[in-house]
Amino acid sequence: MSRLPVADRGTVRRALRDMISRHRRAVGVVLALHSAAAVAGLAPPWLLGTIVDRVTAGAGVATVDRLALAIAGCVLVSALLSRYAQYAGHRFGERAVAELREEFVSRTLGLPVSVVERAGSGDLATRSSVDVSTVGTTVRDVVPTIVIAGVQLTLLFGAVFLLHPLLGLAALAGLPSIVAVTRWYLRRASSAYLTEGAAAAELTETLTTTAEGARTVEALRLADDRIRHGTTRVTAVWRARRATLALRTVFFSVVEASYPLPVAMVLLVGGYLLSRDMVSLGAVVAAALYLQQAIDPLDRLLQWTEQAQRGFASYARLLGVGMVPPEAPGTTASSRGERLVVSGARFSYSDGPDVLHGIDLEVQPGERLAVVGPSGAGKSTLARLLAGIDAPRHGVVSIGGCPVTDLDPAERRRRIALVTQEHHVFIGSVRDNLSFAAPDASDEQMRAALLTVGADWFAELPDDLDTQLGDGARQLGAAEAQQVALARLVLADPHTLILDEATAALDPSTARRTERALAAVLVGRTVIAIAHRLNTAHDADRVAVLADGRITEIGSHDELVAAGGAYAALWRSWHTRVDER
Amino acid sequence: MRYLWWLVRCQPWRVLRGSLIGTAWMIGLSVRPYLIARAVDDGLRGRDTQALALWVAAIVVAGVGLSYLGIMRHRTMTFLREDAKARSAEVLLRHLSRIGAVLPRRVGAGEVSTIGGSDIDWTAQVLTLTGPGVGAVVAYGVIAVVLWSISPMLAFCVLVGVPVVGLIVGPLLRRLEQVESVYRRQQGALTARSGDIVAGLRVLAGVGGRDLFARRYAARSQELRAEGYRVGAVNSWIDAATVAIPGLFLAAVVWLTARMAVTGDVTIGELVAVYGYVATLIVPVWFLLEGSYQLIRGRVAARRITDLLNVTPDDVGGPGRRWPGAVPEARRPDELAAPDGPADLHDPVTGLTVRAGQLTAVAADDPAAAVALADRLGRYVASDVTWGDVPLREVALDEVRARILVADHDSYLFAGTLRDILRAGADDDERIDAALRTASAQDVVDALPSGLDTPIDARARTLSGGQRQRLRLARALSSEPEVLILVDPTSAVDAHTEARIAERLRAARAGRTTVVIATSPLLLGRADLVTLLSAGRITATGSHADLLDDDPAYRHLVARGSEEAYR
Repeated sequence: MSRLPVADRGTVRRALRDMISRHRRAVGVVLALHSAAAVAGLAPPWLLGTIVDRVTAGAGVATVDRLALAIAGCVLVSALLSRYAQYAGHRFGERAVAELREEFVSRTLGLPVSVVERAGSGDLATRSSVDVSTVGTTVRDVVPTIVIAGVQLTLLFGAVFLLHPLLGLAALAGLPSIVAVTRWYLRRASSAYLTEGAAAAELTETLTTTAEGARTVEALRLADDRIRHGTTRVTAVWRARRATLALRTVFFSVVEASYPLPVAMVLLVGGYLLSRDMVSLGAVVAAALYLQQAIDPLDRLLQWTEQAQRGFASYARLLGVGMVPPEAPGTTASSRGERLVVSGARFSYSDGPDVLHGIDLEVQPGERLAVVGPSGAGKSTLARLLAGIDAPRHGVVSIGGCPVTDLDPAERRRRIALVTQEHHVFIGSVRDNLSFAAPDASDEQMRAALLTVGADWFAELPDDLDTQLGDGARQLGAAEAQQVALARLVLADPHTLILDEATAALDPSTARRTERALAAVLVGRTVIAIAHRLNTAHDADRVAVLADGRITEIGSHDELVAAGGAYAALWRSWHTRVDER
Repeated sequence: MRYLWWLVRCQPWRVLRGSLIGTAWMIGLSVRPYLIARAVDDGLRGRDTQALALWVAAIVVAGVGLSYLGIMRHRTMTFLREDAKARSAEVLLRHLSRIGAVLPRRVGAGEVSTIGGSDIDWTAQVLTLTGPGVGAVVAYGVIAVVLWSISPMLAFCVLVGVPVVGLIVGPLLRRLEQVESVYRRQQGALTARSGDIVAGLRVLAGVGGRDLFARRYAARSQELRAEGYRVGAVNSWIDAATVAIPGLFLAAVVWLTARMAVTGDVTIGELVAVYGYVATLIVPVWFLLEGSYQLIRGRVAARRITDLLNVTPDDVGGPGRRWPGAVPEARRPDELAAPDGPADLHDPVTGLTVRAGQLTAVAADDPAAAVALADRLGRYVASDVTWGDVPLREVALDEVRARILVADHDSYLFAGTLRDILRAGADDDERIDAALRTASAQDVVDALPSGLDTPIDARARTLSGGQRQRLRLARALSSEPEVLILVDPTSAVDAHTEARIAERLRAARAGRTTVVIATSPLLLGRADLVTLLSAGRITATGSHADLLDDDPAYRHLVARGSEEAYR
C-alpha cells in the first residue's frame, strides 16, 4: 500500500499565505475591527486607574460619575465593534472553509481509482471526514479565538509598555516558563489526544457492534468473549485518558503558576518607580489590572494552540490529496468501432507476481461473453483491464483499435461501463442515484429502468423517485442496491458493459430473472459478464474459462460441454441428472 | 437519578476529596484580588517597600498554591468522571452481551452508539458537580462575607447582581448552542456526503458522473456557507451581549464603589478589590448555572442508559433463560431434560422432520419462510418444535444454544484478528484449519498479509461477499455443534468453490445432524435427504435426483429456468 501524500510545512504555509492574500481585504477588516474593539476593551482598567488617581487627589463625585459613564460607554463600544469584527471574521471563515472543502472534493473526484485503491479507501475516507471537519472547526472557531486573544494580548502588553517601558519589561516575567512548557506540551499533545479519541471511538464501536450482532452473540455464545473484548477497550480508554491527563497536569500547573509572576513583578518595579516618582499610583494599578486581565486571553490562546496545531496537520493532509497527479486526460478523443481486443496482456499489482499471464481475447460488437473460473483466477483483474481502470504491464487492451487507457476518461466511461458487486448507494434521492449515469434521462425512463432490473420494491416507496436513500433515510439492502446499480447501467446505455458478479447479491431466482430482462434491454450491446453461477454462462454466446491467470478454455457452452474439459465437468456436477444418464 | 446516585456511591472518597479541593480552589480564586489590594494599599500607597515585598511574595506563593489546587481539582474530577464512564460502559457491555437476539429489534444501533458516544459522557459529567458545585456555594459565601465587611450595600448589589447577570446571559448562551447545533447537523450531513463520494468513487469510475457529483457537492457546500452567514449574524450579536452585560454591570459596581471612595466609606485598595471580586464571583456563579444545566442533561442521559438496561430478552417459550455460567449444572424443576444424545427435530408448522445424524437439505420457494423455519428449529421464537420426544421450548435455553447452532447467512462478524473471529467457534488452531478447509476459505487467509493474525474490521468490510460468507461458514463449522442449521451458506460463492464446499461439508459433518437451506443443485445433490418447502409446507421429500425427476415445482425452483438442459 502506498499512502496518499501529505503536504510539507512549506507547502502548507504557502497555501495559507495564498488563502490570506486572496481574502486580503476581509482579513484586514477583521483585524482592524478586533484591534479597535480590544482598544475599547482596555479603557475600563485605565479609567479605573484614573479614578484611583483623581480620588486620591481629592476629586469630587461629579468626576467619578463622568469616568464611570465613560467606562460604560467603552464597554458598549467595545461590544459593538467586536460584534462586527466577529461577524466579518465568521464570514471570512465560512468562505475559506467552503472553498477548501469544495476544492478537496473536486480533487478527490479527479483521483485515479488505482491510486485510491492502492492507498486504501480508509485513508481518503478519514481525510474527507475527520480532516475536513477539523480544518473547518479550526478556521471557524479556533483561528478567530486565537486572533482575538492575540490582538488583546498584544494591546494589553502594549498598554503596559505605554504606561512605562520598565513596567512593560517587568510584565514579561512569566513568559519564558510559559513558552517553554507550551513547546514541551505541543510536541506531545496531538498524538496523545488522537490516541485518546481513537480509543474512545473503539469503545463506542464495541458497544454498537455488540448490539448489532446480538443474535450472533447469542447463537455462538460469545457473551463472555464480548465482555472480555470490551473490558480491554475500557482499559485502553482509561490508559489513554491518564496519558493526556499527565500532559495537562504538567502543562497547566506550570502555566497557572506563571500567571501571577507578571503582576508581582509589575508591583515590585512599580513600587520602585513610584518611590522615584517616575509613575503615578494609578498607572501601577492600571498595569496590574491589565495583567490580571491578560490571564483570560492567554489562557484561551494556550488552550487552543493544540487544536490549531491539529488543524494545521489536517490541512497538510487535505493539501496532500491535491499533490496526486489527476487522472490523465487521455490522448485520443474517440476511436472507430467497438471491437474489444486483448493481446498478450500481463498484469501484476504493484510489484507482486503476475496475476494475468498473457491473455488473448477478442470480443465482437454485440457479443455476450461469460467469464467463469475459480476465485483468485484473475477474473476481476481482467474486468478492470477491459474497463481501462488499470493498464496491462505488458500487452494491449484496445477498443476499435485504440488502447482503452488512451481514451479520455469521460469518453471511456460513456462507452465502457463496469459494474462490480460493490454496490454503493449514494446519499440522496432515488433520482440522484440514477441521474448521474444519464443526466438527460426522464423520470419515465428511470422508472422503466428500475422495472427492467426487477426492482419491484420501487413501487412501495413513499415518494417515488424523490424518496431519500442512505444514511438516516431508507436503507437499501444489498440486493436492492445492486438493482439500483444495474438500473444506472440501463440508463447509461454504453456500447460495452462489463458485469463483474453484478448480480451476486440477488437471490438466485431474482438474479436469473434480472439477467434475462437485462439481456433483452441490452440487445446489440457487447456484454462481458463475470459470473459465479453457471446458468449465466449457459445463456452467453461464448464462455471463457479463466484459471490461474490464463484462459484455459473458450467457446460456446455447447462446444465446451462437448469438449469434456474442466467446464464440462463442472456443468455436469451442477446437473446430477446428466451424470446419471 | 438512582443510577447517578449509584455512580457517586461507587467512589465516595474521590467525591469527598473533589469537594474539598474544589472548594479550596474556588476560595483561592478570590485571594489574589485581596492580595493585590493589600499590596496597593499597604505597599504602594504607603510607600512601604518591606510591606510591598511581603505582599508580592504572597501573590507569587498564592499563585503556586492555587495552580496546585487547580490541577488537583482537575485531576480528581477527571478520575471521577472516567471512573463513572468506565463503570457505565462495563455495565452496558455486560447487558448488551447477554441480552441476545432480541436487541436489534428493540433498540437501533444508532441509539446504542449515541448512548455509548455521548450519554455515558453526559452522565459522568454530572458527577463533577460534586466538586466545583460544593465549592461554588462556599466560595460565594466567602466572598459575600468579605464584601459585607467592606460595605453591606455593595455586598447586596454584587451578590444579587452577579446571579441576575448569569441568569440573563445563561439562556443567551443556550440559544447560541441551539443555533450552532443546527449548523453542525448540516455540517455533519455535508461531511457524510464527502465520505459518501469517497466510498462511491469506484462506482463513479465505472459508470461516470464525477462532474455532476462535484457540482452537487459544491451547491450543498454553498448552502452551508449561507447558513453559516446567518448563524454568524445571530451568534455575533449574542456573543457581544454576553460580553456587554457583565461589562456594564461591572461599570455600575465601579461607579457605586468609586462614589463611596470619594466620601471615604471605602479605601482605594478596597475599590480595586471590589473590582476583582466581581470578576472572581463570576466563576462560581457560572459553575452553578452550568451545573444545573448539566444536571438536566445528565438525568436525561442517565434515563436513556437505564432504559437500555431494562430491555429484557424475548420470550422464546419455556422457563426463563439462565445467564450463561450463572449456576452450572443446575436445572430448574420446571425444565425438561433435553435428549441425552442426537435426536430428531420435528417442526409441526411445515411438517419437516430432521433426522439425527443426517444431512437434510431444504429447498424453499420463499426465503422468508426458510428463515422462519430456521428460527423455530433454533428456538429464536416460541414454537411447537419437538426434539426427540421433548418439546424444544421446555428445555433449558443454554442447552439448546450449546447443542443447536443456527448459522444465518448474515451472521455478524466482529472486529478482531481473523483468529479471534474464528475462535468464536473453537479455540483450537487445528479445528480452525479443518473448518477453513471445509469452507474452502484457506485462500482468504493466505491472501491476507499476516494470515490468521490479520486484523479485520467489523463486518469484515474489506473482504468480498464470497470471502465473508466462507468465513461465516468456517466459524459455524469450527464450533462443531451437535445440530448445525446453515441458511444459504454458499449463495455468494462461485460454482467451482461451491462444488468443493458441498463435497467437503458432507464429509466434515458425516454422522452429525446438519440442515442446509439452499436452492443450489450443487449443495442439494450432496444431501442425504432433500425436502421442498413450498407455500409454507413440506410438499416433497426424497433424493435430489428423484425430486428432479418427479417434482416439476422442485425442478423449476432448483434448475431456475434451464429445464431445457434436462430434456
